[in-house]
Amino acid sequence: MTTETLSTRPTTGILDSLRENPTVKRIQSNWIYRYIVFPIGQMLFFIVAAALVMTVIAYAVSIVVPEPRPNINLAAQITKQLPGMIVSGVGIGFVYAMIALGYTLVYGVLKFINFAHSEIFMVGAVVGFEITDRLAASGTIASWNPLILVPFVVISSMLVSGGLAVLIERVAYRPLRGAPRLVPLITAIGLSFFLIDGVRALVAVTRNDFNLTYPTQELDFLKNPIPLTFNGPVVGGTNIGGVTYEQITADGVVLDEWQVESATYSSITVGGVTLGGVPVKANDISSGETGYDMILVEGRDLDEIEDGANIVNIRITVIIIVLSAVIMLVLLNYFVNGTKIGKGIRAVSQDQATAGLMGINVNRMVAITFFLGGAFGGAAGALFGLNVGTVTPYVGFIPGLKAFTAAVLGGIGNITGALLGGLTLGMVEAFLNGTLVYFPALGQRYTDIFAFSVLILILIFRPSGLLGERVDEKV
Amino acid sequence: MLLDVKDVSKSFGGIRAVRSVTLGIEKGSISSIIGPNGAGKTTLFNLLTGIYKADTGSIIFNGRSMIGLRPDQVNAAGMARTFQSIRLFPTMTVLENVMVGAHSRLHVSILQTLSRVSAFTRQEERLTEKATQLLHFVGLAGKGDEVARNLPYGDQRRVEIARALASDPELILLDEPTAGMNPNESADAMALFRRVRDELGITVVLIEHDMKVVMGISEHISVLDYGEKIADGAPAEIRANPRVIEAYLGRGAASGIDPNNPNPAKAEAAK
Amino acid sequence: MTTSRAAVSEAGARSGFWGRFLSPTSAAVFLIVYLAVVIGLLLSLDRASLWFSIQSTIVFPAFILSPLLIHSAPIPRTWKAVLIGLVMLIAMPIIGISDSSYLELAIQVCIFAGLALGLNIVVGFAGLLDLGYIAFFAVGAYVWGMFTSTAPTIFNELGILIPPDSQAVAFIIFIGIGILAAACIGILLGLPVLRLRGDYLAIVTLGFGEVIRIIARNGDSPTNFTNGSQGLLNVGRPLVSADMVSRIDELSNTLNIRVVGNLQPLTQQILFYFIAILMLGIILVVANRLQNSVIGRAWTAIREDEVAAIAMGVPLVRMKLMAFALGAAFAGAIGVLYGAKQTFVSPESFTLLNSISILAMVIVGGLGSIKGVLLGAMIVTLLQLQVLKNFSLQLNALKNIDYVILGFHIRDWPTQLEPAKYERFVFGILLVLMMLFRPAGLLPESRRRLELMQTNDLPDEPPSDIPGTPSGPANPAAAGD
Repeated sequence: MTTETLSTRPTTGILDSLRENPTVKRIQSNWIYRYIVFPIGQMLFFIVAAALVMTVIAYAVSIVVPEPRPNINLAAQITKQLPGMIVSGVGIGFVYAMIALGYTLVYGVLKFINFAHSEIFMVGAVVGFEITDRLAASGTIASWNPLILVPFVVISSMLVSGGLAVLIERVAYRPLRGAPRLVPLITAIGLSFFLIDGVRALVAVTRNDFNLTYPTQELDFLKNPIPLTFNGPVVGGTNIGGVTYEQITADGVVLDEWQVESATYSSITVGGVTLGGVPVKANDISSGETGYDMILVEGRDLDEIEDGANIVNIRITVIIIVLSAVIMLVLLNYFVNGTKIGKGIRAVSQDQATAGLMGINVNRMVAITFFLGGAFGGAAGALFGLNVGTVTPYVGFIPGLKAFTAAVLGGIGNITGALLGGLTLGMVEAFLNGTLVYFPALGQRYTDIFAFSVLILILIFRPSGLLGERVDEKV
Repeated sequence: MLLDVKDVSKSFGGIRAVRSVTLGIEKGSISSIIGPNGAGKTTLFNLLTGIYKADTGSIIFNGRSMIGLRPDQVNAAGMARTFQSIRLFPTMTVLENVMVGAHSRLHVSILQTLSRVSAFTRQEERLTEKATQLLHFVGLAGKGDEVARNLPYGDQRRVEIARALASDPELILLDEPTAGMNPNESADAMALFRRVRDELGITVVLIEHDMKVVMGISEHISVLDYGEKIADGAPAEIRANPRVIEAYLGRGAASGIDPNNPNPAKAEAAK
Repeated sequence: MTTSRAAVSEAGARSGFWGRFLSPTSAAVFLIVYLAVVIGLLLSLDRASLWFSIQSTIVFPAFILSPLLIHSAPIPRTWKAVLIGLVMLIAMPIIGISDSSYLELAIQVCIFAGLALGLNIVVGFAGLLDLGYIAFFAVGAYVWGMFTSTAPTIFNELGILIPPDSQAVAFIIFIGIGILAAACIGILLGLPVLRLRGDYLAIVTLGFGEVIRIIARNGDSPTNFTNGSQGLLNVGRPLVSADMVSRIDELSNTLNIRVVGNLQPLTQQILFYFIAILMLGIILVVANRLQNSVIGRAWTAIREDEVAAIAMGVPLVRMKLMAFALGAAFAGAIGVLYGAKQTFVSPESFTLLNSISILAMVIVGGLGSIKGVLLGAMIVTLLQLQVLKNFSLQLNALKNIDYVILGFHIRDWPTQLEPAKYERFVFGILLVLMMLFRPAGLLPESRRRLELMQTNDLPDEPPSDIPGTPSGPANPAAAGD
């Protein structure tokens, strides 16, 4: 009956028999295994599993609908795009997983959905911008070693976001502990709105603009993606997978406010820019419904690019995201399972009152949990900002909701679940981003609806998520 | 038999809270279910009233199977209950609490409610009158307008009983109705339970720990231990049953128990 | 019981502000003087004045809140009715003729008050937090818009639009259709999700609200139902006759009020004002009757203890569905009115921000308290549509003349820091402060005050003899007795 809260072990019992083996037991008790090999292996396993699931779904769809629009062979397109989709899926997935951890950790100890977490993520993204922008303004950013710069930015965001989360808990949530459920939830919604406009006001005062563009152009190491040539089944190549193009031209006019990135053109930051009276949406480009005769990307015709290279470009930011996430998740696993404070947090998550009676400082544990969750949100924010380039105070809502979906998908309250949920959702989203364009009736604009639908369906049919145990529905 | 329970079981995860319990309740009787803490008594009540779904077994009430019915349907079928920890609607008035209890006996139509036709007003009047009478019956006349949670503990228990009675049940399940009462209050409560049966003709089933109440009022007692029924019979039989004594006091004590002392817990304290 | 509660509130009213008045007559005299001053000020404000924006921001709310003030006064019921009638049916239209922007505000207040009362059924009465409530409003607006808009939708192409001359009759029928459509969608959504726990329900309804908005935004292809992000233009409305226009003209001449702008749209606004008042009145009656009925008591029971409620024979899902559907129906009806009034329906009117602002109305006023919700709707709507906007206007007016205050050039105020753009900030802080310091609202319902004020007395999960209810992991050890 009990959902094992804040555990990092999957509750699937495939390897149960092995666990009894003495050699296996000895290895398992080794700290290198427990705190390094096991979590990393688990992550690899989840990545492979999520990628496999996505591949299977993709091809299954292509069997059902072999030719969604004339002259488009879905299976061939998928084959062409698969590596790119997996790479971007892992990238998005880790971002979702890191945000989802914030929801899950807080839910684990307080059984409360911290609605304002999406804004803590946003604050992380804005702090990341502030730091890089100031460094760029002082002209020193190019001289920084990337291996120092990136951790510096990420850790600063973590500290600010974590501190903010602790402050919010202290000021707004703690006085309401024990109040009817709706009360802290409404407070959290209010805080979320307050933070959005609060941050907006701050940046408005300092720079009179709230579109915050990271100075990624000045960072050489971000400019050139790592090309990966795929042999075997990959024919043709990907779309303009993963390169940040500096210039898009339509009918001879430069669409300079745009950035094209990731496997398809979905994540162009601005949803629609009016140009010559015709609004152009990001997804219109990919579905060829722009109203323009020709769109050039860095001098090359879009169609030409689509049929061009057979290379998947892995963006550096994706690698940075994955590396940072792995390091932080390993540390979190150690912290929760291997330290005294971690033990305290787990105790509080299981029974606050009893933990208090056993001499654990519940308030302190809750504050630490909020700090951890906030720090992960902040890190995700900074990495997200580096990845997409431009952030605004409104940037938190959609990733926040999706990360919450990921947390619920994996089983809210379960750390491993957040990871699995994030990767699965990221992967599915990458797949949708890559393929929905071929369905004339849908288009990528329905990607977000998909995430919401997943959320609604899971909550209805399996509210305990993939890794949570079923809780009997009462009454 | 008004209520016929056969082989009902319920597990939570690995814990088998109720293990194939069989018992029957005669119409018009007052029965008790007793057993040590954790014996599965409340779980059994929750199974009977549909709050839990039984894993196996059958529950026949008044010739009708209760398996698969929702709690509100069970209530409408004529089985009402109270709760171990009082669960009144805390900020409603006492009268309103009792009125809610009659929900399954009312015809609730939105159109009638909105148009305030005479049928609606009449129903409201009858309901108020009935609730007032019930409060009078349980000894809370004149307290109808008080907010439920401001009442003293014993009165809250009475409101719970009035609320359960409001649905015109044939069977009322009382979960530790005298818990936390002093001997005087318990005696009053016992008198009330008798009146429920004698004056209203409602069959009464109690879960009780207070042996004075159990032995004083019950015509039939079932004993649960670790989810199993270990004994069943008239109070005198139960008092002498070695398995029951063992369940309460452990094997060693079973030989030395004084059958005339109705309260085994006190017996142990006296040792 | 009803009488006793009324007595309590009466006493409460006496002891506060109204305690100073010795007799009903003195209170009535005060009210009349108050109204005369406020109405006089409103009619005499100089629109050309530099400080006009701020002045009207102070005076107009004082006027709009007067019906509630009258309602709380210790005067006989008939006096109240007469005074409120005077304010709402006579004074307001006259003020509206002098400046139709006040009329617009009054209509918006009625619309949002109606919405807030609908949401109050769901959140306040039944205790179900619905963060996607605006979606039902959208349903009503789109139902009317799709069949009357001249935008190039499929309905237009098929030629099944309602012709302008029959739109007055169709409007009434469509209010019914809006109610039905919204209630049906409410039930369809509610059936699966109402079994969910409170916080999950909130998130699912939030998701649902967004889904409806995204569908509306993308509903222009492959078949154009909603005209996508451009919205439905030229939505139909029940038109005023030339006769009515000339009567308003006469009226303004007799009263010697100079009409700013065109007479026809003004008359149209006056018509909408009366429609809005009528709908709000009906909604008030409905909400009141629901609250004091078997249904209302069942909702309270569910809100306070689901397990006890269902064990007492209250069919949980059916009663919750009823609340959901009724709340949705209110929103659907008002949606039709909104679509007709705005003559423009676009997805951007139905965002999460709107849902939250309606929630803020309910919370500020007092969950479950009908009077409170009216007050909340007035406050929040005026904040949103008048106060913040007028601050911005005032700021711009001061900027234009390079006003200097304490050495600060208003001109240097950052353009991004315009008050009208900071609705979220205001709503957010309102919600947080209310929850922290006055969770039962400004005019709390008596029951809610008990429920929310002494929160520490009430464990959020009843110490259950039913393991694991209503939330969270069950504890098998507690399964026994």
